[in-house]
Amino acid sequence: MASLARWERALEPEDERGLIESAREGDSGAAETLLRSYEMLLFRTCRHLLPAGEDVEAAVQETMLRALRHLDHFSGQGSFGGWLAAIAVNYCRDRLRRRRLVPFVSLEVNDESESSPLAVVPSGEPSPERVAMAREAVRRLRREVAVLPRRQREVFALRFFAGLDLGGIAEALSVDVGTVKTHLHRAVQRVRSVVEEARP
Amino acid sequence: MNIIHLTDDELDRALVGESLATRAEEHLGACVACRRRRDGFVAAVEAVRGDDPDEAVRARVRERALAAAALPASRHWVRWGLAAAAVIVLGLLPLLRAHLMSSPQLNADRVLVEVNTILDRDPLDDVASPDVVEAVVPVAHSGEGGSTS
Repeated sequence: MASLARWERALEPEDERGLIESAREGDSGAAETLLRSYEMLLFRTCRHLLPAGEDVEAAVQETMLRALRHLDHFSGQGSFGGWLAAIAVNYCRDRLRRRRLVPFVSLEVNDESESSPLAVVPSGEPSPERVAMAREAVRRLRREVAVLPRRQREVFALRFFAGLDLGGIAEALSVDVGTVKTHLHRAVQRVRSVVEEARP
Repeated sequence: MNIIHLTDDELDRALVGESLATRAEEHLGACVACRRRRDGFVAAVEAVRGDDPDEAVRARVRERALAAAALPASRHWVRWGLAAAAVIVLGLLPLLRAHLMSSPQLNADRVLVEVNTILDRDPLDDVASPDVVEAVVPVAHSGEGGSTS
């Protein structure tokens, strides 16, 4: 099975708690280890919650900075990844609000560009027809995600791009798991149906 | 023998990460067609997700965040203080101008009273909307595991 996106998290819960405590006390090495463990989650979250052209590096840097400055606000009851994702989501929402932007994925995609995600569809000597269908499926997925309602876009991005589980998404969005499931089901139903329409 | 494939709802549950009924779980493990539906969706998602930044980019961002976090906290409040002072000065300009235009002689006592009144107010009332405060100083909601909103 093709695996869902996951960030490279290698910390055991006990180690993570110790690192958080040390970072709170000013241990920069502990802080760096924490950031390193979750930076992929933050890059993926910001990349897919911000519109094309926004500075993702600046967003991740600001998220990291806010997290380091407010480590005392992390109670330890939820997951640290969910807490970090919440900061990233709030930063991205704020950017969108300030710029009066709604879509977080550009609709203006040059399908033939080298950076196009369509270029990474697995090949294995497929027929031109299959390549075209795969490209169409990916293009439709991108477009459909871009026009999902805001909350559905957020849960979809956190689940499928950032790789958070349902509990982590709930924490990131400050909602309960049932709400996450509701939005995620609606989003998946919409996106899956348009993707499958592009395939035989 | 009739084969009962996963329904759309069951497939969505699998994609979302929810547990399936035993029958559906077993079928998914054995049915190539249903696995293809699931894996095709996941592959399309992965294609849209794109490549992750390389280590050099990640290290640069991480180091900048750590360096910024190491700055004294007072720097943060100095900026707020300067912003508040700027707002107060800008707020006083029209007042002073109106006063000078309407009266041939400056009433220093009245101006000082106005200045003191403004200075006694909380400067954050002038410089920070709730959105700005929320963005700069995210707070954890009680009972939600320290999540920041």
